[in-house]
Amino acid sequence: MSEIVIGISDLKVSNNTNDILVTYALGSCIGVTVYDPVAKVGGLLHFMLPDSSLDPQKAGENPAMFADTGIPLLFKSCYKFGADKKRMIVRVAGGASILDDSNFFRIGQKNITAMKKLFWKNNVLIEGEDTGSNCNRTVYIHISTGKVFLKTAHNGMRELI
Amino acid sequence: MIYDEILKSVKNIPAFPAAALKVMSLIDDPDFSIADVVDVIKYDQAIAANILRICNSAYFGLSHKVETVRDAVMRLGQQNVIRAVEAAGVSKFYKKAKGYGLDANKLWEHSVGVALMSQILSKRIFNCEDARLYTTALLHDIGKVIMGEFVDESFMKIYDIVSSKGISFLEAEGEVIGIDHAELGGKIASQWNFPADMREAIVYHHRPDLIPNGDNNNAWLIYLADQACIMMGIGLGNDGLAYRGLSEAIVRFKFRQRDFEECIMMMLGDLERAKELLGIV
Repeated sequence: MSEIVIGISDLKVSNNTNDILVTYALGSCIGVTVYDPVAKVGGLLHFMLPDSSLDPQKAGENPAMFADTGIPLLFKSCYKFGADKKRMIVRVAGGASILDDSNFFRIGQKNITAMKKLFWKNNVLIEGEDTGSNCNRTVYIHISTGKVFLKTAHNGMRELI
Repeated sequence: MIYDEILKSVKNIPAFPAAALKVMSLIDDPDFSIADVVDVIKYDQAIAANILRICNSAYFGLSHKVETVRDAVMRLGQQNVIRAVEAAGVSKFYKKAKGYGLDANKLWEHSVGVALMSQILSKRIFNCEDARLYTTALLHDIGKVIMGEFVDESFMKIYDIVSSKGISFLEAEGEVIGIDHAELGGKIASQWNFPADMREAIVYHHRPDLIPNGDNNNAWLIYLADQACIMMGIGLGNDGLAYRGLSEAIVRFKFRQRDFEECIMMMLGDLERAKELLGIV
């Protein structure tokens, strides 16, 4: 088994059943995992901000930075390995926020909203979700099984179903 | 009892590097010359070596490799030299830091992130960079270096209070341990004889709204920079995002959400270019 680390504003896709994709320290950012159980293709995206209109040039250079450019790229990258949209299983984690008395610091909440809007518009169901709150999350996806694991300080490691 | 142990650890913390302290005091002297800075640095080999390493990082964008301290100081200019000296002097305290569920070096990465973000915010809001702000930002979490040894064994206790009472990790830390990491940072700053404004910014970096009868813009900038790094997960520990959002920060600086997000993007770029800062020992 080899661990492939996905940094902030990055995504990776694999069809190697020895691979585990992992992204550490999700705060307000969101980790999106997708998996096609037939093609045995999976991917993990770690996006940081909701909307690419903030900086279209940056979004062009690095689409994985934003929800609205990163998520489509994640799906397309999986199609290249033979994945089919109808079979893709989507699980998401992250989007935490600090204890807020205003909307100023709600990047986590905005990330969740932007992501869900995109999935609704494209008729994609979110199979498993652990979002919001104020905790630090680490997410793993095993390419051999498609199983997604979530690690937090208070709950340890558990499967995200 | 834990409290007494913590105070003992503060007393035992190694002295702040003399060269870094001297350079810090030079900032306040309008007449300081490059030769003064070189004189201070050349006697501290660890700092001198690190200065060269930092100067050659992409962050400073120099076209030729810098070989000597004098060269480095000439090429970088005063503000950048101060920054490099402070980073080189401070890093050793963070390198061995344990606790908060963080791997080695992560607390240092967080500190560098906050320091870089503080400069981006200062430039955007006040149209200037500020070496003193940078140094303070590097040190804002110095209390965690000592607190880390104690916080992990009490983590579930602290976490339970955070969830049941809906208070911040900082407040729960204070309840369970008897002191929080910001206050503890202030004690270390006193031990090191830091100027009052720097000590204040460290003590109040999570609650600049509570600064008694005073105005400390640097405390507010460090607060904002810290929130940005926490939200982006840079050196994020098991205290997570359980800190208070203060909307006063926006009103004070007439800052829009969009400005904040743009600054966050810039910070991640700077952090990428400043990798050498993270590697120094």
